[in-house]
Amino acid sequence: MTPISLRNFSIHLGERMTLRDCNFSVEEGSSTVIMGPTGTGKSVFLKSIAGILSTQVFTFEGEMNVNGFPAYADGRKLDFDAWSQIAQSGLVFVPAETAQVMNPALTLDQNLALLAPGCKPVIEQRLKEYFALDFDAFARLYPDEVSGGEMQRITLMILLSRKGNLILLDEPTVNLDRNLRRHFVEFLNKEILSSEDKTFLMVSHDLDFIKKLTLDQAFMLKDGDIERLEKLPEMEGYEKPEAKKGSTGTAIELHDVAQTYFKRGIFGERTFTAFKGLNLVFERSTIYGITGPSGCGKSSMIKAILRLMDGTKGRILMEGSDLVALKPGESGRDPKAFKPFRRRMTVVQQDSRFSFFPDLCIRDSFMQIAAAGSGGTVEELAANLEKVGLTSAHLDAYPQSLSSGEMKRMDIARALTAKPDILLLDEPFAHIDFETRLQVMKVISEYLAEHATILVVVTHEDFDLRYFVEKSYDFPELVGQFAGE
Amino acid sequence: MKKLSNILRIVFVVLLALPLVLAWLPSGGFESLAPASLVESGYLNSLFLSFRELSITLAATMLFAMIISVVLGYVSVLSMRAGRGFANILNAVESIPAILVALFCYAPVSGYLARHSSAASTTMSLIVFVLAATATTLPEAVRSISIPLSDLYNRKYSLSFRSYGFTKQRILAVLMNTVMMRNTLKRVAAGILLKTLVLDCSFGFIIQLGFGSYGTPAHLSPGALIAAHRDALFDGGTPVLFWLPSVLLIAISVAFLLMLNDIKEDNE
Repeated sequence: MTPISLRNFSIHLGERMTLRDCNFSVEEGSSTVIMGPTGTGKSVFLKSIAGILSTQVFTFEGEMNVNGFPAYADGRKLDFDAWSQIAQSGLVFVPAETAQVMNPALTLDQNLALLAPGCKPVIEQRLKEYFALDFDAFARLYPDEVSGGEMQRITLMILLSRKGNLILLDEPTVNLDRNLRRHFVEFLNKEILSSEDKTFLMVSHDLDFIKKLTLDQAFMLKDGDIERLEKLPEMEGYEKPEAKKGSTGTAIELHDVAQTYFKRGIFGERTFTAFKGLNLVFERSTIYGITGPSGCGKSSMIKAILRLMDGTKGRILMEGSDLVALKPGESGRDPKAFKPFRRRMTVVQQDSRFSFFPDLCIRDSFMQIAAAGSGGTVEELAANLEKVGLTSAHLDAYPQSLSSGEMKRMDIARALTAKPDILLLDEPFAHIDFETRLQVMKVISEYLAEHATILVVVTHEDFDLRYFVEKSYDFPELVGQFAGE
Repeated sequence: MKKLSNILRIVFVVLLALPLVLAWLPSGGFESLAPASLVESGYLNSLFLSFRELSITLAATMLFAMIISVVLGYVSVLSMRAGRGFANILNAVESIPAILVALFCYAPVSGYLARHSSAASTTMSLIVFVLAATATTLPEAVRSISIPLSDLYNRKYSLSFRSYGFTKQRILAVLMNTVMMRNTLKRVAAGILLKTLVLDCSFGFIIQLGFGSYGTPAHLSPGALIAAHRDALFDGGTPVLFWLPSVLLIAISVAFLLMLNDIKEDNE
């Protein structure tokens, strides 16, 4: 049986063709990676095999069989019964945003029972062995009570431990820190790729990660065509863009900052500490990098500076004003005294799909965002889009029709259009391939030359530290390795 | 092909729910179609009246419960403190069986209903039932709205949109109007209709069994009509008296279930 076979298969997204007349198959027990630039349609291709592309947005041509069952015939996606048969035959799809598969109304234990029935002992053992996590400590918590990093590890392990023979993995390293990435590579090589009864198909742009896996074959998807690669491309040849400088000077000072949050426990809600004792100074026109393992509090620090969290203690000084005193908590509305600071701050959040209104095209969404005080014009946004490798045609697209990498670049262009004084980037280059990433880094660097901005980048990618960041801090070291209650 | 199946599905749902509309036509028009015994005994008239009152109950409960659910769901996410308060109250209500909630609501007005046997009594009975049905459907309805809304806000849109300067109130208002939330509201409405239908008929059935014509509610329910004619299934009875309202109720329930399923498929 051939687990995946495509005959003259094409995928259309409106007028755009993301896959053209493709004849492609993978053999049983093989491991394959499909690489390609950002926005080329890698995830769309994988999702078409998983059967989760909406027929209202995408149209198809040709035939596809999955696990020996017809999935698409004459360009028609087959009905629910056919796809149920495919799902029951052992298809396992792991999306890039793994945490999204969790039902927020159920505890992690209930989610596990729903997603991977009968697999709890294996999941517990694997979480402990590869990710040093004790599942019992999280079993009674709801998804919104668990940090992003912990959630990523638990969900990945739940999905990859499901019983199945065909595993489809979409950009798995996007939110994994360096340490976890190492363990994840070990897990994949040992538990998944060595198994002869499992067929493995992954899409990724992360060459560094791909090179560490024991894969049988690699393909490149570019301009709608899939081509086999005889050997993987080399990582060398990248050059760090020259960081241009504006004026310097101290801009934000964090004095003994601590951040707490609530977590539901057996005896009601309890206060936990994300971090404490954070002392840090960010100067203008320097690219600061904050690194550290998932769940150590990096993103919480960004939210604390933005004053979008309750439970912040200490002082965050900006030009002599204490932002914590101006806005002690998050009530969903900014006090008048804080509003001038709000207008000067911009963030690019981890998941840029949620940076624009869901049912509006980017242009309409941006006009509302600009009117709310964020600033900038559509023309300026269009100019920035060209710089980051997108076009003004993307302004008329809807968020759900753009790839994660395109949305990231869209969000960065939006952030630069606001001409911020404080630019906070939380994993800004995830989902963006290395070539495009360098181009985006150059654009940010040029902005820095024109505006003496405070620029903080939270990242766990070596590439970003090597080619973009000027001064990096290890977050656990900054907060005295503090962790736990 | 898909469009055709959608049209067929809509036609099928409309046909199944048709009794609720037909009940508003004059029953005289159907007298020639029904056996003379049903007309002469006044059964046909009671059947029309009961489905007429059921349609009022369903429409009024859906409207009232939806308005309250949307407001409570929205406020629950807007204010965590209010949300916790609502959750505690609604959890307490949910722990009580729906029939007991309905009985409890009727207790204060039972004297009024006994003294008045006119239209005023029927109206009061309907109002009380709508309140009772709303109370029993609220916990699930509010939860069904607040959980996805809270997920959209807290896990997805709050960080970016709050940083743009939008207030939480405005972000929630925008999110409430998204396709996803609109589908959720449709599903909640279908759930309320189904639950109210079941409560109305089972409550009417039990009251009729327990108290006969002296019991409350004072408005007619197809459930009470079924209970009143349960003997029709025994020897010498007329089974159609039992089966006619039963089959119509099953058809309406199936229509609501199809609506729920349709919305779920849309979401998928």
